Parts: sequence; structure tokens; C-alpha cells
Amino acid sequence: MLDFARPALLGAGLLAALVPLALHLISRRPPERAVLPTARFLSPDARTAVRVRRRPTDLLLLALRVLLLVLLGAAAAGPAWLPVRGGTAEVVLLDRSAAMDGPAWEAAVGEARRTLLAPDGSVRGALVLFDSAAAPARRSGLTPALFDSLVRAGPGGGAADYAAALREIPAAARELGGADSVRVTLLSPLVWDGWRPGLPAVRRAAWAGPIRLPDLPEPGNAPVADAPQSPSGSVVVVSPPGVGRYVSAALGATGWSPRAPDDGEPADAYFLLDPAAVPAPVEARVRAALEAGATVVLSGEAPPLRDLLPWEAGGDAGPGGALLLDDGTRLEGPAVRVPGRPAPGSQVLAAWEDGGAAAAAARSGRGCVVYLAADPEAGRLPLSAAYPRALARLARGCDAPGPVPAGGVPLDAGARAVLRGEGSASGAVAAPRDAAGGVPLGRWALAAALLVALAETALAYGGRRTP
Amino acid sequence: MQRDASAHASFLPPGLLERLGGLDVVARTVAQGFVAGIHRSPKRGAGEEFARHREYQPGDDVRRLDWKVYGRTDRLYVREFRERSNLGAVLAVDPTASMEYAGPGGVPKLRYAAYVAAALAHWMLGAGDSVGLATFGREAALELPPRSRRGQLHDLLLRLERLRAGGDAPAAAALDRAGERLRGPGRVVLVSDLLEEGDGEATVAAVGRLRARGDEVVVFRVLTPQEEGTRPPGAGLYFDPERPGPGTPAAPDADPGYAERVRAYYDGLAARLRERGAEYVPLSTAEPVERGLIRWARTRRS
Repeated sequence: MLDFARPALLGAGLLAALVPLALHLISRRPPERAVLPTARFLSPDARTAVRVRRRPTDLLLLALRVLLLVLLGAAAAGPAWLPVRGGTAEVVLLDRSAAMDGPAWEAAVGEARRTLLAPDGSVRGALVLFDSAAAPARRSGLTPALFDSLVRAGPGGGAADYAAALREIPAAARELGGADSVRVTLLSPLVWDGWRPGLPAVRRAAWAGPIRLPDLPEPGNAPVADAPQSPSGSVVVVSPPGVGRYVSAALGATGWSPRAPDDGEPADAYFLLDPAAVPAPVEARVRAALEAGATVVLSGEAPPLRDLLPWEAGGDAGPGGALLLDDGTRLEGPAVRVPGRPAPGSQVLAAWEDGGAAAAAARSGRGCVVYLAADPEAGRLPLSAAYPRALARLARGCDAPGPVPAGGVPLDAGARAVLRGEGSASGAVAAPRDAAGGVPLGRWALAAALLVALAETALAYGGRRTP
Repeated sequence: MQRDASAHASFLPPGLLERLGGLDVVARTVAQGFVAGIHRSPKRGAGEEFARHREYQPGDDVRRLDWKVYGRTDRLYVREFRERSNLGAVLAVDPTASMEYAGPGGVPKLRYAAYVAAALAHWMLGAGDSVGLATFGREAALELPPRSRRGQLHDLLLRLERLRAGGDAPAAAALDRAGERLRGPGRVVLVSDLLEEGDGEATVAAVGRLRARGDEVVVFRVLTPQEEGTRPPGAGLYFDPERPGPGTPAAPDADPGYAERVRAYYDGLAARLRERGAEYVPLSTAEPVERGLIRWARTRRS
């Protein structure tokens, strides 16, 4: 398939070719002067004197001149020969790191199989397996047996590196010469362990099109903002007398069932608002509930359970202002800001208006520890309309209940957006030129134009010499 | 039924004769083809042409006795032959400006005329005749007096090679000068396109004068197919090289009257020449030289 990078220039060449055509049609030349000894027997013909003289070479000259202009236009238009379009081909990046351990692996292999193998058994694309390094699978080897063996073998034990997988996309796309477009799918739990500094730049350089990020059925791999947990559990607010009533009321308004700290039954969430109010038995129960899957929300400058705190002290406090939670909730302040930053590997749940982290969460056992770098009942915070929804978001804790995958903390929505491709439609395809390359023909067209120009010159010069 | 030998002969087209080399080779090649075409050996010559029987008289050469007649009549007769061994001939070649014309892909008329003259000279000198050369391009001139000596053919071919087209002098003066140089009745061969002022009347008159002297006159008319009208050229502004002027805008290929006018001119000229006892042989530069010569020889024998 012939493709032009700048088709407008080809159109300009075609328009320019009309010029010699028009000149040829309107040109009037006197008849050629020639010797004929028997000229005395000629009958003068007035029409001959004004008739357009046509040499046999005139049409050939016209054709060469038209061809010359068209070729020049074509050369400037950047022609390229592309393979015949064969629909959309698939490139599947399959994460085989330790983070894929569990049901996610089988689901991911199944998704890859459905994507790459047509119902008739034909192969629709390329498979790239990656962990810390990426390696394409041979296309001829993409058979149902291969996917069965992948399921049986399970994922590897290494760590993922998304940059390595992304860098493999252009080579894999070039191999799909018969396709007019390529769709890239990344099958991974998408955890921070696979993220490297500079990955956004690698993402932009490696593949201009979007990347599909299917949700794997493993609960731990659910996107941060896309699978809200239902706030239907019980919550215990541990605080000194006179404190915590706003928190209890707000949580109760959002469907949580506040219970007394000494109830004895494990709760789904715990708000520890004052370390002095957390005696050792209570702390033991909280830790046990945490191991069982509960969410523990800590706050203030000296929270209890410091060993589990997803927060590091240090730095300036900075101004407080409004709190922006990751579910879009905006909680107007001013609140008292506690200095510090999220601990490595933790998930940022809320941020201040200046971008600084305001709340972080981290897995602990089957549960989740949340730290709010502010006093939840200080200032005018409880008077905000969004206060109940904000506390409910904190009580929900980590958005990945259950055991933390071996790969670590899932990527947040922003990181996923980077991988998916900002502004790109899900499942969109890349341009054929980017996908399948092509043979550039510009230089050949220029060389052909040069040959035509030489032929035209030779013919025109020879024509003038002919008596 | 007479066999057409020329139809089976493989004559070289005029365009290929140029590649043979000099005129001597061309003359020999054409003359051999010509002789083979008319079934006559050049060794016999015109000097052995039988004239009559005469009764034997003492002193006659006994080698001339006709013994067959003696056997039938018991009387001695000797055979008498017409003496033609020293026939004088002048080849008058037209090198006027119009003879330079060749037509697309053809040979110039002057070159073709040189082939004809060279072949005839080769043939006639081989038969013992004396041959000379006259031209009349810019002015009438007797280039070479008629002789039969060794080296005459070489000199004649050399002068033919050096001929250059130019001028528009009529043939009449050259024909008159040729007649003056022939001691007795001889042969004058004119090779020309006959494109002259006054419809060639001066040439016809000169031919008449030669015939009145008893000379044999043969006129070879040379034209290209373009001039004849068999392959007329396309539209153009045409001019006669012997008549400078602005030219005539015309389209000969689209004018059927052109070929008719040319044919009428030459038919009239041929009729006037034949009225005066001259032989008229039209030649085209598109046909092999031998073919025209053979056609002429057969016409003579018939």
C-alpha cells in the first residue's frame, strides 16, 4: 500500500503537471521550414501556415514533462510502501514477576490467550514476557499448548520492571508487518515495585499509542479509585472523653456502626485519636484485628502503633489548607498540618493543596494502617460538608483488601494513567506508519525524476537538431 | 516464359551501398549485379555484334568464313560484324543543389546518381568503350574526356567521389559540350532529377541536338520517394534549394494533387524526350541501383 506523509505536496505536483499540459494544448508554432526540391509542385495551403506543428516527439516530451512534475511532487510528499493492511494486531506484555503469584497469573495467561489466538487458531499478534527483563515469544510458538504450559509453570520469582517491557514494544510492533495498527495490552498487577524513576519518559518514547490495562480478577490488583469498598462494617473510635464525637457521628452518617472500645468484638475499622487512650489490651486487640484485615486510622503528631506507621517524620509542616482525597473529596480546612512524608511503599490517600501528602496507607497483615497528618477534629474540619465522606474514605483504608501481593503496593490512579496513556482512548490503535514501518520511496522517486529530466533534455535537444 | 532474374537477385539497397567502401567497390558490385541480371557476359562486349554475310573475296580473313553456310550452299561467305569496340560515351551527372536532397532515412540523390554513373562506367569500360564525365552544377564542365585507357575508371570514380552539390545550371550546356567531344556517333548518359526552369525545355532541345548528331541518349531521372509523392512529407514550410524564397506552407501528405502534379511533369518531359529518340529511365533512390539498370537494359532489348 502506497502511503504519503505529505499528500498535499503530491497534489501540488499533480496541479503543476497541468501547466505543461495546458501549454502543449495552446501552443502555436509556425510550420517547420524544410527543403523539398519539388516544392514547385506544392499547392499552398493557408491552413498549414497556422496549423499547430506536431512532431512525433511532442507527445513523448509532454508525457516526460508531466511525469517529471508528478515525480517531484511525489518525492516531496514522502512516499512509503506499507505492507497490505491486515487489521489490528496485538502486542501483549505479560508480567511473570512474583507479583503475579496466585489467581492473577491464570487470569492473565487466559487474557493473553484470548487476545492473541483467534478462534480459528491463527495468531493475531506478539507476546512479550517480562519481569526484570523482557523477551518476546516466538510467533510460531504461540499455540494453546504454550499458554497451557505457562499456566502450569506459574510466574517467576523476580521483580517486575515495566520500563523493560515498554522498551520491547517497538520491536514487537515492527514484527507485525502485515497489520495496519497495533494494540498494546499490559497484563500485570501494576505494583510500585515495577515502577522505576523516569518510567513516564520511557512510556512516551517507547510507544506513542495507548496501552490497555485490563483489570485482573485478583482483588489486590484492583485500581485504587475504581473499586470502593462498601462502608457497611463496624468502627471503634478510641479517644479520651470529649474527643471523637465528631468522628463517630460522621462515620455513623456514612453507614458505619460505631462501637465502644471495650466491646471485645473485633471491628472492621479503628480510629485511634489519642495514644494516651490506647492501653496495652486495646492495642493488642487492635493489632489482632489488623492482622485479621481491619483498617486502623492513626492521626496527630504522636500516634500509637508507631512501628506500623506509614509515615516518616521530618521536614517543614507548611501551610495546611484544604485536603484533597484520592476519591475526589475536597475537605475544607484550615487543618493543623503535621510535618513528614509517606513511608516508602505506602499509598497516598490524601494531599494538601500544595501537593504535599496529607494521608498515607500501608498494608499490615491482611489489614491496612492509615495515617492522617492532621488532627481530624481540630479547627473547622468537622464543620465541612465533606467531612463524613472523607472519614469514610480513611476508614476504607487500603483499596486492596486481602493479602498484599508479593509484588508490593498497587499503583495509584495517576501512575496507571501514565501507563495507559493520557488522553488516549482505551483500546485505541497506533498509526500504521508507527506500527508497521514501511519502505521509504522518496529517494527513488527523486532518482526517477532525475532520469526523466535527462531523457526530456536529450529528447528536446535531439528534436531541435532534427531538420 | 521469360524468367525474371532480377526478382531473384539479392540487390543491396542504396543505404547499404554506402557501407561497402569507395565507389570502385560499389561500381563493381552494381555492375556485376546488373550484368548477371541481364544474362550477358561483360567479356563479350559490344564489338562482336553480328551485322551481315558477304561473299568471300580473296584477301579476306579465312577465320571469318561461315562454314555452316558453306555446308548448306557450297558457297563461301564471310561474317561481318558491327564495329562497336570504340564507342564513345559521356556520363553527364547532375550536381545541382536539388541533388543534395535525400529525404528521411534515404541516400542523397547525388550519391545515388554517382552509383548509377559508376556502375555504367564500369560496365562500358569493361566492354571496351571509351567513357568520359561531364557535370553542370555551378557551370557546365567536361570533367573527363572519353577514353578507354587503363586508369580511366579510377579517374572517373575519383571525380564522382569529389562531386559536391551546388548551383542550378541546366544540363543543356553540358550535353552540348559532351556531344562536341564525341568524335563519331556515341552515347550520352544524363543522370539528373531534371528539375529545371522552363519545364526542362532546354535539356530536351539539347537532347534533340545530340540525336541529330546520331548519338544515343539515355536519361536516368533520379528522385526520392518524398519528391515522387509515394511517401510525401508532412506539413511544413517548404522551399526549393535552387529557388531561394520564403517557402510554401503546405501539407504534401494531405494533398493528393501533389503526386499527380509531379507525375504529370515527368510524364510530359519523358514524352518529349522520347519524341526526340532518347531513352527515359525513371529511378527512385528507394530501389536498388541494379534494378533500375536491368529495367533499362530489358527495355532496350525488347
